[in-house]
Amino acid sequence: MKKLLILSIISILFLSSFAGCSKSSSSTNGKDVVELKFFHRWPNQPKKQYFEKAVKEFEKAHPNIKIKTEAVLNDSYKEKIRVVLGSSTPPDVFFSWSGEFAYNFARQGQSLDLTNYVNEDKAWSDQIIASQFNAFTLDSKIYGIPWSTDGKAFFYNKKIFKDLNLEVPTTWSQLIDVSKKIKAAGLTPITFGSKAPWTISHYIGTLNQLMVPQDVLDKDYDPKNPEGDFSHPGYVKALEKFMELKPYFNKGVNSVDHEYSRELFNSGKAAIGFFQLAEIGLIEPSLKENLGVFNVPGVEGGKGNPNSITAAPEGIMISSKTKHPKEAMEFVKFLTSKEKGIEQLKEVSEYSAVKGTTTEANASKLQQDAINLILNAEQTYLWFDTAVDIKIVDAYLNGTQLMLDGKKSPEEVMKDVRAAAKEVKASANK
Amino acid sequence: MQNTNKWLPYLYIAPCLVFLALFVYYPIVENFFYSFYDFSAFSVEKTFVGFENFLNLFKDEVFYIALKNNLWYAVISIVFQVFGGLILAAILEDKLVRLVSGLFRTVFFLPVVISMTVIALLFTFVYNPDIGILNGLLNMLGLENLTRSWLGESETAIFAVIAVSQWQSIGYIMMLFIVAIQNIPQELYEAADIDGASKIRKFFAITVPQVKEMFFVTTLITLTGAFTVFNEPYILTGGGPGNSSEVLGTLLYHSAFGKDQMGYASAVATVILLITLIVSLVQLKVFKTGKDV
Repeated sequence: MKKLLILSIISILFLSSFAGCSKSSSSTNGKDVVELKFFHRWPNQPKKQYFEKAVKEFEKAHPNIKIKTEAVLNDSYKEKIRVVLGSSTPPDVFFSWSGEFAYNFARQGQSLDLTNYVNEDKAWSDQIIASQFNAFTLDSKIYGIPWSTDGKAFFYNKKIFKDLNLEVPTTWSQLIDVSKKIKAAGLTPITFGSKAPWTISHYIGTLNQLMVPQDVLDKDYDPKNPEGDFSHPGYVKALEKFMELKPYFNKGVNSVDHEYSRELFNSGKAAIGFFQLAEIGLIEPSLKENLGVFNVPGVEGGKGNPNSITAAPEGIMISSKTKHPKEAMEFVKFLTSKEKGIEQLKEVSEYSAVKGTTTEANASKLQQDAINLILNAEQTYLWFDTAVDIKIVDAYLNGTQLMLDGKKSPEEVMKDVRAAAKEVKASANK
Repeated sequence: MQNTNKWLPYLYIAPCLVFLALFVYYPIVENFFYSFYDFSAFSVEKTFVGFENFLNLFKDEVFYIALKNNLWYAVISIVFQVFGGLILAAILEDKLVRLVSGLFRTVFFLPVVISMTVIALLFTFVYNPDIGILNGLLNMLGLENLTRSWLGESETAIFAVIAVSQWQSIGYIMMLFIVAIQNIPQELYEAADIDGASKIRKFFAITVPQVKEMFFVTTLITLTGAFTVFNEPYILTGGGPGNSSEVLGTLLYHSAFGKDQMGYASAVATVILLITLIVSLVQLKVFKTGKDV
């Protein structure tokens, strides 16, 4: 009996050591097949299918490379990507937002420096809109390849505007004026949902640009610059301007999410909404020719540049721990080729960051106008929640939710933001 | 042969013990040590900071909001689930409703078997300020001034969340009490009937003392549940607006995966563990379970 016990323990140990082995040797069966792990953020259709198809095409063209795809949605992606990159088997190729979100990976040495690859293959890299690389460049090294680009603008229902005899607003006070008239007509002027608070950050980022001078923003957004303390009065003004919209939002914005607010707009119950240009593809089918787009109107007395737009690329990065950087790069090049860029807009309504991919052939008139909105803007700004350190964003978003609830004043919100900024900058310079 | 028999039982429970140690106790100990370090998910090394995480935690006003919300959770859950569940069970076990009690048992128990995620999503529609059934009902009853954006206002958000949990879990607690009540010897009730005791008298003099053990179990379940709750607030409000419906579970989650402060999150986890430990120890003492049954 005792022997049996020992025997069983030994066999358990033996088996478990086998289990450890099998993992590392699986990728080399026969003809040196390279396996790449690819992690993106669209487990939902139609993008899931788009990537499945792309992976198949790529595998067909490169029989020596196998790609294993994994995907989780949006907010969960933000959390999970940090964890898996910290693990010992991170994905080789992964998606990333631009700005601080990507810089964070670069600073921690988690993402591969791609500068050489970009310079080596000019035929490919020159096709990509040059400005889009900026948001992935840290200390003049490129860490990510822009895959898509997108911006934020006001969408409006042309039919409602026509029925009520309204003009598209070009200044902030006109926007308020128009909203007042829509409300008087018994409709929701502006649709908004702030339960998932990233929607707030887009308003705030945009208003900050309009109210605060560029050099102050640069200083304040930089997590390492201790002088950037968010003390400019424009920040409080930006929040006050945001609160001017509150009476014209739908009821209970804190309890509804962005998708619900989009449905309100889709169904014609709301006249204006603040959406991403990529969402044209989701809204145009229901509003058809009644959908119009205008850039955020300039605010009177604002210190920022009115001819600007919140627009930023999303891109693909490669893990610094990858064993096959060449093959990974091959896959990235495939995804960011012109051919794929054209498909991508048509199939999943994401504007490619490759030049000349939004044309009459694959885009509606409105989508072409939208991409021009980005290309013609004098300045583009990153999404606020990826441009600034997460702790500062957090203070902003929590504060603004409470402000919408009438529990905090703009000045009080900024007080929290300043405290968070101080903490972030102190720990960055430790 | 006898010698080996001594070992055999341990062999049988060994797999269970190993798994328990590996997946329950080891992480708890590990987490305890983590709470003295400052690190992010992908930082290469951890910096030892001593009690700093705990000191910061006790200075953090969100921690007190979360703690307060957990306490509300506990108090309301005890009242509605434990006391409410007991009363429901007693009613369903009464001779008068015995015929239809099967139906009601199923009705009350049904929410328990539905996934919490589904329920939470369902209730976001119930609470919707424009098209929600709750506001619709209030409007129908002419109580327009009571309608509000239940999940969107900081005063009501946490209570709206707590209400969902009550709705879901009361059936489970009720079921446990039903089992306990069915184990009470019928003779006690018969004797009481002969003495002419009223139903309410029988409830307090027989049912309540006889289900004392189950009382202990259910309060333990609801109290630890109340301090470790996560799904409901996470899905319904995400802790918002602001931090007004944050509980310890969501605070832990936000610190770990939102702000990437893993050490701080470990400190929150340690505090949660301490609270639940203390709660169960106090209950063990108060109920003196197993001693005088």
